[in-house]
Amino acid sequence: MKRRKSESLMGMAFFGPALVLLTIFLFLPMVLTLVFSFTDFFALNPKLTHFTGLENYIQIFEDEDFRQAFFNTVKFVIIIVPLQGLGALGLALLIDKVSHCKKYFKVAFFVPVVMSLAVVSTLWIQIYSPEGILNSVLGVMGISAQPFINSASQALPSIAVMSAWQGVGYQMIIFLGGIQAINPALYEAAEMDHATPWQKFRDITLPELKPLCIFVFITITIGAFRMLVQPMVMTGGGPSHSTYTVVYDIYETGTVNWEIGLASTMAIAFAFFVMILTVIQTILTRDKEEKDGNKKTKKK
Amino acid sequence: MVTRKQKRNNWILTIVLLIASLFFLFPVIWMLANSFKPDAAITADMNSLRAFVPPILNGSFLENYITVLTNTNFIRYMCNTLFYAAVLIVLGVVVNGLAGYALAKIKFPFRERWLMIIMLLMIVPMETIITIHFLIVAKLGLLNTVLGYILPMIVNPFNIFLFRQVFVSLPDDVYEAAQLDRCGPLKYFFTMVLPMSKSVVATVSVFTFLNVWNDYLWPSLVFTSGDLLSAQIGLNAITSNDNTTTGQTLAVITMVTIPVIIIYSFFSKQIVEGVISTGSKEG
Repeated sequence: MKRRKSESLMGMAFFGPALVLLTIFLFLPMVLTLVFSFTDFFALNPKLTHFTGLENYIQIFEDEDFRQAFFNTVKFVIIIVPLQGLGALGLALLIDKVSHCKKYFKVAFFVPVVMSLAVVSTLWIQIYSPEGILNSVLGVMGISAQPFINSASQALPSIAVMSAWQGVGYQMIIFLGGIQAINPALYEAAEMDHATPWQKFRDITLPELKPLCIFVFITITIGAFRMLVQPMVMTGGGPSHSTYTVVYDIYETGTVNWEIGLASTMAIAFAFFVMILTVIQTILTRDKEEKDGNKKTKKK
Repeated sequence: MVTRKQKRNNWILTIVLLIASLFFLFPVIWMLANSFKPDAAITADMNSLRAFVPPILNGSFLENYITVLTNTNFIRYMCNTLFYAAVLIVLGVVVNGLAGYALAKIKFPFRERWLMIIMLLMIVPMETIITIHFLIVAKLGLLNTVLGYILPMIVNPFNIFLFRQVFVSLPDDVYEAAQLDRCGPLKYFFTMVLPMSKSVVATVSVFTFLNVWNDYLWPSLVFTSGDLLSAQIGLNAITSNDNTTTGQTLAVITMVTIPVIIIYSFFSKQIVEGVISTGSKEG
């Protein structure tokens, strides 16, 4: 009896430091965010705080800036997810097939992943500049100079292309791991049946990679929803709010304008979207692991 | 059983991929080549293939690098970040490791429930609570201090979970033997558990380093000015200064990337394994 008590004390002592920090920097902020989201808390004048019920939640959907930030974010997701996801899948399939310089290709397409978002953004300000290298390359190919991040219509797609460029090597490595995990016996069996390369791809590779594809595409979607650093460094959210994102709005409303109440409401709405995506991802990939587990037990 | 046709196709694929990789890497090649040039040469070379070739070695080859290192606080920012990373690796391994060990091996009240909560916390996007983090740190009077930057970054539900998953499969008889030798639980943790789990300690350390080195939002909020800036914020401060030339900008971003390249080349195995097994450490 005494031993059990001392063990539970020891457990509390081991878990304690983490628990204190978790309480101050995760539980408390989460509770405060939820509470503040129902108030008009303004950090520069906290005494004037009122409970406002659902008013903020109605306000953010009527707010012009937040609506635009939301649509920009969705637009960014729609551009980057197929670009980065299919790009990574395509690269992985080609690099898996290639017989020479395999290692070089793995490293080459991974290089931008190593660079930080601030570095990549700073570099691409130069690449995208009106007299920059990209415009001079386009000029050689007979295409007139483009404004890229300086125009409201091109800024967001330009940032999406840059972000896909930066991230594609990461998912490429994940797909390469997935392709190499496919049971070679499946291909051997297909070869016995004289299957064409296209048939092998369609009937073996794609179905085997499907769970991984779901996982990767949702991961890219979540990452894209959280996009902030690129417009912060490159455009300041402009031109005319065309690269203003949801997280950018949370950041500016909360830490620049000190309207913590409103920022909290935006944060709750944002967290809601991201957590739904994460839960969907967890359910779909757990399904995959169970299937893998079944396969393994069958083999035994 | 490789036919001649397959062989030829493979060569074509190799060449296509080689060309694609050069196009893909053109921003990086341009960055490296032009970080050694004065701005006049960068502009002059822009319309020819020379834009992708470094200049000949002469007296002014490293000028951009030397100017940045001597005229700005750049070295200071790099050292700051190395220091933050070192502190956060040590504190992170100890705090998250102890918690992971408690969740794996020690019976204490509500242990299963805590594990459940830690797993739920992993899905909360940090951007949600960053405003409140900022408010709490400001209220504590810790804005623009090292402590204010480090405190919210120590605990990490993801790392607690990672440690727990590894510790749970450690054999129990070693612990019982250690207890007979009157080895206290703390001593046992530091002299037995951590050394037995080098691989997870390395993984957590590497990801902590990359996270600290590449982080932008949190340091940009905490460090308002002055000597404490981290490398990424310092890089932004230097390159957004009007007096900084394009060549110097390229030299700065090249140098900020060097430590990360070193880490990747030494720990590529851990990182790739981490990428493949978790896949969720996006960004």
